[in-house]
Amino acid sequence: MAYQKIFYRLILRPLWRERLRSALMVATVALGVAVVLAIELAGEAAAGSFRSSVETLAGSGDFEVTATGGVPAEVLARLVLLPHAFKLRPRIEDYAVIAASNRVVPFLGVDMLADAGANPGNSGADEFQRGGSIWVGKDAGWKPGSRVRLTVNDGSADYTVRGVIEGAGEAIITDLAPAARLLGRGSNLDRILIDVPPSRPADQWESILRAALPDGMTLAPRGARTEENRRMLAAFRWNLRVLSYIALLVGAFLIYNTISVSVVRRREEIGVLRALGATRLSVLGAFLSEAACLGLAGGIAGVALGRVMATACLRLVAATVDSLYVSSTPAPIALTWAVAVAGIAIGVLVSVVSALPPALEASRVVPVEAMARGRRDHDVHMHRWRDLALGAALAVAAGLASRQPPVAGKPLFGYLAVLLLIGGAVLATPALVSVLSRATATAAGRIFGVEAMLASRSLAGSLRRTAVLVGALSTAIAMLSAVGIMVGSFRQTVLLWMEDRLRADLYLRPAGPAGADRHPTLAPGTAARLQRIPEVAAVDQFRAYEISYNGLPATLGGSDARIAGRYGQRPFLSGARPADVFAQLPGRDHVIVSEPFANKHGVKRGDTLELPLGGRRIHFRVIEIYGDYSNERGYIIMDRGTLLKYLPDPSPSNVAVYLRPGANLEQGRRAVENALAGRKVMVFTNRSLRKEAIRIFDRTFAITYALEAVAVFVAIMGVAGALLALVIDRRREFGLLRFLGASTGQIRRIILFEAGLLGLLAEIAGVALGYLLSLLLIYVINRQSFGWTIEFHWPVTVLLSALSIVYAATVLAALYPSQVATQLVPIEVIHED
Amino acid sequence: MKIRVLLFALEFYRAALPGYHYEFPRDHFNHPEFQTEWWYYTGNLRDTQGRRFGFELTFFRQGVDRGKEPAAMWDVRDVWLAHLALSDIDGGKFLHTERLNRSGPGLAGSSLAQARVWNGNWNVQWDLRTNTQQMQAIDPRFSFKLNLRALKPPVIHGLNGVSQKAEGLGRASHYVSFTRLETRGTVVLDGRTFMVEGLSWMDHEFFTHQLDAAQSGWDWFSLQFDDGTELMLFRLRRKNGTADPYSAGTYIDARGQTTRLARDTFSVTPGKLWNQYPVDWIVRVPSLGIEVELTTRLPQQEFESKQNRYWEGAVEIGGSRRGAGYLEMTGYAAPVPSIIKK
Repeated sequence: MAYQKIFYRLILRPLWRERLRSALMVATVALGVAVVLAIELAGEAAAGSFRSSVETLAGSGDFEVTATGGVPAEVLARLVLLPHAFKLRPRIEDYAVIAASNRVVPFLGVDMLADAGANPGNSGADEFQRGGSIWVGKDAGWKPGSRVRLTVNDGSADYTVRGVIEGAGEAIITDLAPAARLLGRGSNLDRILIDVPPSRPADQWESILRAALPDGMTLAPRGARTEENRRMLAAFRWNLRVLSYIALLVGAFLIYNTISVSVVRRREEIGVLRALGATRLSVLGAFLSEAACLGLAGGIAGVALGRVMATACLRLVAATVDSLYVSSTPAPIALTWAVAVAGIAIGVLVSVVSALPPALEASRVVPVEAMARGRRDHDVHMHRWRDLALGAALAVAAGLASRQPPVAGKPLFGYLAVLLLIGGAVLATPALVSVLSRATATAAGRIFGVEAMLASRSLAGSLRRTAVLVGALSTAIAMLSAVGIMVGSFRQTVLLWMEDRLRADLYLRPAGPAGADRHPTLAPGTAARLQRIPEVAAVDQFRAYEISYNGLPATLGGSDARIAGRYGQRPFLSGARPADVFAQLPGRDHVIVSEPFANKHGVKRGDTLELPLGGRRIHFRVIEIYGDYSNERGYIIMDRGTLLKYLPDPSPSNVAVYLRPGANLEQGRRAVENALAGRKVMVFTNRSLRKEAIRIFDRTFAITYALEAVAVFVAIMGVAGALLALVIDRRREFGLLRFLGASTGQIRRIILFEAGLLGLLAEIAGVALGYLLSLLLIYVINRQSFGWTIEFHWPVTVLLSALSIVYAATVLAALYPSQVATQLVPIEVIHED
Repeated sequence: MKIRVLLFALEFYRAALPGYHYEFPRDHFNHPEFQTEWWYYTGNLRDTQGRRFGFELTFFRQGVDRGKEPAAMWDVRDVWLAHLALSDIDGGKFLHTERLNRSGPGLAGSSLAQARVWNGNWNVQWDLRTNTQQMQAIDPRFSFKLNLRALKPPVIHGLNGVSQKAEGLGRASHYVSFTRLETRGTVVLDGRTFMVEGLSWMDHEFFTHQLDAAQSGWDWFSLQFDDGTELMLFRLRRKNGTADPYSAGTYIDARGQTTRLARDTFSVTPGKLWNQYPVDWIVRVPSLGIEVELTTRLPQQEFESKQNRYWEGAVEIGGSRRGAGYLEMTGYAAPVPSIIKK
């Protein structure tokens, strides 16, 4: 028999007859592919093609010189005299806040005079020397002559746009002279970009440059910073990517289920076709082709949908990257052909692989056997105990995998443990379903009536189908609860940490959105003015610098150790008291480091860190490690006095104000605000700061929730599709029930009960699995990827409400199938055959 | 209007006035009290195989701000512009480039204490004891390292210490030249190193306001004859096409004695044109018996700067005396820019 004919009879005709079911399957694949694609595209735009936004206008330079606290101007003078045809570009780099939009954009000081030599049309020195002149990148959208209000550090002023520069993104550009004056940089630069001629290999140029540079300068190939940031973001992107595959995994379950259902339903047809001479291979081919077609349609739709979803994802991902890691301007989303083809291929592959087991089964249908019904379900019955044992074995393997160390900084064994655990749970599902549904059948019948009993029996009867559905839905629920428990625990941990950590009454920082790698400063005299306020007991000035340690970005900070010692509450990880530890900081090259820093760099108490500071390489002893959840980059903290000794800029990045006991908070706050005299400073009370922190926390995890929601949505959609198939499949049964006198209401109730029971089983299995997965997430994957200590907490409210919504959605999803069932005309269905 | 500009400039800067008392080596270096200053090196060189090169290395300083506030590190008080060119006469190539810098931490400058004039790694280091200069200039395409030794003492051009350029007090420059610098060193071009020797010429001028509005440009000649004498002439052109009466020159004999040449004692006649530039000339100084033809093998020695276009090139001398020199023609293809003219 011709393959086309088989394909038509077995596949195309049913596909068309059950358009809704086909559409649901395509949508399942499409959503799975879309989520994966959206996360990939958004991740690439936000972080992958990532360049720190200050890299704008950096061009394709070969090397760069940086130094903690700035590169002295004399270094540039030394380099320009070298007898080589280098191109040197000194830069001052910082950020400005656009007052109108509260957006943070790079603020760059470049040598506009030297560039004038390179760019015709750029006029003489007088124009860029004039105060208040700025040039802007094209993306900023301003025209020459526009007036723009900018906040730089804690000062705000109006500027006039003198010109627009191509390829500068949104950056604001001035000459070195006004930039240095505005930012109080004195004669220091932030970076010198160096282009070298091709006449020698790069490593020779590197050693020539290194020999010319004084100690304490960091010479790195250009883009090293970008590389560092990429490395830092790798774990974040990995976990995001893995999360995005959940929806696809759930989709795979549902495809498996749908194809299985259609194989079971078309057994007779297959048998007839086989009897008429169709080969096994052509039957297998027909079902795989069906899956491939659905996968192809789903893949194409998924790519289109993914492109749309990527825009929404990008906003969330970029916000996370910005608040937790590094200031970045997301690149435009780039959907390349390669990515699109890969997306479609994933759709086809997932669909074909999921369809393989049922398709193989279909090919094994013996012509004679075609008439016999229900044998396959019996098979599952027979194997469920064996599967349960296999599942238990997988769980044990998962336990073993969870004890393995990370591979190349990635918790690969952690992910493996997650997969093993899910696999184990899926294998255990038939046993669970059969036990539970049988157990509940009688009870359900007694409490809810005969419809409930019929529903339970029907589920237990078609065990295979039920198990797959429960498996898919419970996997989605498990991931939802696992991530929910992890994030909830994390949130609670952070709340408790803030309780201990934030002891001051008021916190000050320069206006504008905060970012992990941006440290705008307050005017140097701020603290002195605050100390004169009668209500103020103590003022702690904190200064932060961006540094690179062992090829990864980190933050170097200086805090007043005496004040921290006096007010500090939270013990160090070793249990040491703050007062004792902080007493050892002043006057010595001692530092404390944050837990993420210690984990990332394998630093222990008593270790020595070498840091290039102020033109020298200084050795610091790590005396303690402290718990910190404020960012993932990691902190090295020393006493303010020590920091000032090496980097003498007195401007603080943040100021913490402790009021006298009994002082009125509102009065203190007003007095502080008055003392700031028009500077652009944000004053947070202890409460508002915590609120702000938790707001950022929630924003950070919004993407995680969104991914979970999509996975659950896919699962619910699958449940709806499966129930619909169930109804169509059992139309004879329902017709018979109607014939025997069942009302349409009873039919409807049977189906709703089935959905309710299915949901209940899935939730029980899902929460149990989710609990185990959350342990993996908290203690293995998170620890190995990010190095945070999270205390386990049950986020009861969030979890209960999420599960209720999922449950309600599952039951609601049954409404349409039940409607279809009630519309069956009993006589017709019974006489169908 | 012009007067006001002049008065404004003179509020911050000195004008070049007669009676200036020169003192060397101090006056070889920076004069920040004058608005404009340049150190101009040109020369004709030959490698051991006879391959001919010409070079130009010029350091310009233009005062742009003389505010009362002390300058911060990156403030631009002076713009330092430098032009560098190599004429590969037998290779038929003219390579040129320029750079702009501020003083900053020592990116460019001219310093008696350090005895050098520099803009980045283009620099001239003096040895004040031996009166020799080490010159270095580096470009990705070529570079040279030359040792210059003065065979004659510096020449002060004009009358009473000023080289008058237009009608009016202060419309003049202080103008000093080394007219015969024995030159040896290396030129690197396209990865090949050439050992070269020859003669260079150095002009140093500082002033605040020299040309007037009716002047459109100039033709300037520095000629080094094989008999050990040199001739410097400049012809200022007026917008109406005539030669300005303030055109002048200086003749330096073999022993270093100078003769000032007024407008009516010499004539320069343009010949063949390359683009707008007359690249061939006949120069006559009847009182000295000089009647020479200037020709060039490389007519494309036009320096196209971002701010300006002018012709500055090596020429050969034939006729009553033989030798080599440099010819500069400004104001043909583009007006003389404000940085020079102010």
